[in-house]
Amino acid sequence: MTMRARAAAMLLPFAAGACSYQQYQSIYGNAAVEAQQFNSLFVIFLVVCAVMYAAVILFLIAGLLRRRRAAEANVVEDGRHHESHPAMRTGLTVWAAVVAVGLVGLAIASFFADRSMASAAANEKLSITITANQWWWDVQYNSADASKTLRTANELHLPVGVPVRILLHSNDVIHSFWVPSLAGKQDLIPGRDNDITLVPRKTGIYRGQCAEFCGTQHAHMALVVNVDSYSDFLKWWQHQLTPAAAPTTPLAQAGYHYVTSGPCSACHAIGGTPAGGTVGPDLTHLASRRSIAAGTMPMGEGNLYGWVEDPQSVKPGNHMPTIGLEPAQLHAVVAYLETLK
Amino acid sequence: MSSRCRAKLVVIGIAALAVSACNREERHSRSKPIGETVPAGESPNTIWPGGSAPAALDPRAKLYDNNAPAISQGQQLYMTMNCVGCHFHGGGGMGPALMDDEWRYGGRIDQIAASIAEGRPNGMPAWRGKLTADQIWKLAAYVRSMSGQPSKDAVGSRAEGMSTTTPATLAPREPAHSSDTAQQ
Amino acid sequence: MPPEVKFIASAEPITADANCAPRQGNSEASGSNAGVFHGGVMRRVSGAFIVGLLSTAAAVTSGCNRSADQQTPGKVIAGSPPAANHAVLDAAASPADDGNWVMPGKDYGASRFSGLNQINPSNVAKLALSFTFSTGTTKGFEAPPLVVNGTMYVITPFPNILYALDLTKPGAPTKWVFKPKPLAASQGVACCDVVNRGAVYDAGKIFFNTLDGQTIAVDASSGQQVWRTQLGDIQKGETITMAPLVAGGKVLVGNSGGEMGVRGWIAALDEGSGKLAWRAYNTGPDKDVLIGSRFKPFYAMDQGKDLGVKSWPPDAWKIGGGTVWGWLSYDPATKLVYYGVGNPGPWNPDQRPGDNKWTTGVFARDVNSGEAVWYYQTTPHDLFDHDDINEIILADMPWQGQRRPVLMRPARDGFFYVFDRRTGQVLSAAPYGYVNAYKGVDLRTGRIIPNHDKDTKPGRVVRDICPASPGLKDWNPSAFSPLTGLVYIPHNNLCMDFGAMEANYISGTPYVGADVKMYAGPGGNRGAFTAWDPVNQRKAWEIPEDLPVWSPALVTAGGIVFYGTMDGWFKAVDARTGRQLWRFKAGSGIIGQPISYKGPDGRQYIAFVAGVGGWSGAVVSGNLDTRDPTAALGFVNAVKDLPMKTTAGGMLYVFTLPR
Repeated sequence: MTMRARAAAMLLPFAAGACSYQQYQSIYGNAAVEAQQFNSLFVIFLVVCAVMYAAVILFLIAGLLRRRRAAEANVVEDGRHHESHPAMRTGLTVWAAVVAVGLVGLAIASFFADRSMASAAANEKLSITITANQWWWDVQYNSADASKTLRTANELHLPVGVPVRILLHSNDVIHSFWVPSLAGKQDLIPGRDNDITLVPRKTGIYRGQCAEFCGTQHAHMALVVNVDSYSDFLKWWQHQLTPAAAPTTPLAQAGYHYVTSGPCSACHAIGGTPAGGTVGPDLTHLASRRSIAAGTMPMGEGNLYGWVEDPQSVKPGNHMPTIGLEPAQLHAVVAYLETLK
Repeated sequence: MSSRCRAKLVVIGIAALAVSACNREERHSRSKPIGETVPAGESPNTIWPGGSAPAALDPRAKLYDNNAPAISQGQQLYMTMNCVGCHFHGGGGMGPALMDDEWRYGGRIDQIAASIAEGRPNGMPAWRGKLTADQIWKLAAYVRSMSGQPSKDAVGSRAEGMSTTTPATLAPREPAHSSDTAQQ
Repeated sequence: MPPEVKFIASAEPITADANCAPRQGNSEASGSNAGVFHGGVMRRVSGAFIVGLLSTAAAVTSGCNRSADQQTPGKVIAGSPPAANHAVLDAAASPADDGNWVMPGKDYGASRFSGLNQINPSNVAKLALSFTFSTGTTKGFEAPPLVVNGTMYVITPFPNILYALDLTKPGAPTKWVFKPKPLAASQGVACCDVVNRGAVYDAGKIFFNTLDGQTIAVDASSGQQVWRTQLGDIQKGETITMAPLVAGGKVLVGNSGGEMGVRGWIAALDEGSGKLAWRAYNTGPDKDVLIGSRFKPFYAMDQGKDLGVKSWPPDAWKIGGGTVWGWLSYDPATKLVYYGVGNPGPWNPDQRPGDNKWTTGVFARDVNSGEAVWYYQTTPHDLFDHDDINEIILADMPWQGQRRPVLMRPARDGFFYVFDRRTGQVLSAAPYGYVNAYKGVDLRTGRIIPNHDKDTKPGRVVRDICPASPGLKDWNPSAFSPLTGLVYIPHNNLCMDFGAMEANYISGTPYVGADVKMYAGPGGNRGAFTAWDPVNQRKAWEIPEDLPVWSPALVTAGGIVFYGTMDGWFKAVDARTGRQLWRFKAGSGIIGQPISYKGPDGRQYIAFVAGVGGWSGAVVSGNLDTRDPTAALGFVNAVKDLPMKTTAGGMLYVFTLPR
């Protein structure tokens, strides 16, 4: 491969990263301080290591070329001590020094990157607890005022510029929290308290997903993160605290009746109704979310129909059973779910 | 023996294993609609007057009885549907013990499924409208595993969390007696 | 396996006991004591030899052979008698004894003190069985018999049958029987056996509650129903097990179901008609909790608006527990009802961040309107199911130079509280047993100081939490004697392992979220009977018991304390010294209140119903399997040996002195 082609290959990731669509779910997203720090560090490492690599390759080539000409210096056969070439000695010393400087430099860069991430994340203003289940994310916003704690699912809303500490728990197996545009991965291990701290920098929508194989539907365990301005975030939180609106149309009322007295309420909770199940996602503001079933399908009426009727064909093996609703029941239930904005 | 003979034996052995493991591991993720429920007729052991016979074992029983995924999913449902709140890990509390050899309402898998679906007079809730038939059968399979009824290769082994009872792989198989003491 | 034997040397000299005849030989004692000496045959033989020597020595000195399973006599711990200027009963709440027993607590002040003194330490050893009565039930029997002017009333656990026995005729034949026929399905939502804690007599009527949530008034002479009111809903998981309190023309009733996601309340029914006069919830907005202008909690932590909503996550208070399944007391002078509130739900505390008002605390309410007057939260954000429903004894006590009207109670969290009952100020809170879950109570702020090492963690097991969930003492009430000034506390000595997990709410099913395993606390004894000096906040004496002591106490003016053990021993103990004077082995374990009354012939009688069960005895009354240590919310692990020591039953025993 020619040098030009190789250089182009090295620059391709940067080009790809620059593409704005990739901000949605990309390790080059730089949407949070952590991601940004990490990417800067990555670039430093890349440059330093690329230079070292280039130098090593050059020396290797030089060595190969020189070897053909220096066949006479055969120390072993002669038995004579062959004095090292002064230029070679200087070269080696310089090389060792360069490597040392390089490594120290990388260590210092790494240290400062870590420190700046830590200081940005110090004094976290927001505390969130995420409990991972197979195969959905249970999100709880903590508050010193207990009555302002909020429970939602599969979606995070974060205020820009505010350090947020996310406590990570798991109810069953090991999962991993990974929003590439924002930060690196952190595992959620059952029986252990982990946490990750984030300081989002840019508003926008970012996608995260589970990064540790956790069962049949590991691939369908995504998380949508909305980074909003602080005032929008507070408005969202206030809205999410309101209980579900009472249904007004007869169809939605029939759906309400079925949801709260039938199998749905055995697993799901809807604020302000008798449904109090904690096994599945909280549905109080289901219709305001961007996706269904942890990123499996985008939110929409047709998708809701399909999901409620037969979740096992959409996400086979997940814990929501296919109940086999009658058509009238299905219309009623979806009509009610759509009112849960 | 010759290598040809040995090879044949190995092939037969693998085939046998594959066949026997079939039922134990078969996993079906779709359930029949809730309309087709657990049959209501599964009575506990009782008098069958005039020479009439008890109903035959429900054909769905063999899909669940020694089925490993059914038993393990039944265990999850047992915790989440609060069975553990009344029956604990088989010892009983508000509800009777499930790990012993006394069955008030029958210990066959279809009789247990009927008890779960219909409820029972002294306080067992009726889950018919709340759980699908598939979930009820899975729970019945797990309940049987608490008294050691299924084969040992189908049951779950060590549980996470607090150690409670003997692991199901070591639990003794309790013979199923009908309980004749009517506890009120 | 040989029974475990604790050969504890007595601290006081062994004196002759009139009723204790010398036994034949020591071989029985040696044989079972061999278990104390672990190891090989040689050690076994020499151990037996030494034990034999000691037993013989003891037998010679005492004239009485100690059998292997006899409990230790009382040990004097503090050494000094109670303060001469000690607490006395409140005159209005605890009037002089007329020989009847009309409510489980004996009087509004919950003294459980009988003024009869015919039976005293010199003659109690002669107590003999006068008559018995089989109630026909086999579940836990927690209720006392009532005696009113020659008729005895017995209320059974489910199915809550009320018997009236005619004490004027020999053998106490049945006068009438009332069968309320409660719903059988209510047995499925009763957490801790299908018990009933008693009926109450007032103005010619007997009032009691049924398991399926009804309050019933029955005419005391004819047995006809006067009225019946449905208060609880079993579909929500509510039951009623408590004994009502009749005061100020109202029948006060509270619900059970803190383990079922129920919302707790206390209600007042009109005594004549049974109509609901008022209902106060223990969670939720102030208007539901009947908090108004008269409400003046003493401590800042209990002050604020709508704390019953603000100290919970949204909607959690609607299923947050706070039931009233225990004891109520009443001060006729101030017309205040005092009661404790049960645990918040679920047991898993991470699902309900916040202080969880108004659970696990003490309320004072006006009996006519139900308005709250003061409140104190004993354990904010309760972690361990330390309900606060224990008895509330009203007394007058010398405190720092003056006499103050107090209420005192040994609470589940292990502390003996003394409050000024006018304001709710905590005067003292001292542990009456081993406690490591809390470091103490800060009397300045009133707040209990938790030990954060024992905080529960989701998905993990926290070990060695003392006291365990039943607390250092559960519902079974203590008795107070104004003559000795001591409170006689029958209690537990249990610790537990607690594993929290997420609880799912489905109405009508349990809402707990915890795996629990209990076992004996320090010392190895699972229970104890303690005589406590409330003024000096220390034990006067204590009797360790092998099993948790789940029976209430009775103390008489004759100077005797009566209580029962879970394996069926009914004991009479000297109220001043704790020395055991007499005992009787009943057919089943005893968890029911003993009473003392004056019979139609003028003699003093002692009565109780033996029938093991309740939370502690569920392993017997519910025929549970001892191989699951978490069964019965962890209690089965603590009393695995109980099925070998006693069996289920429901028999009334009445004793008196022979003529």
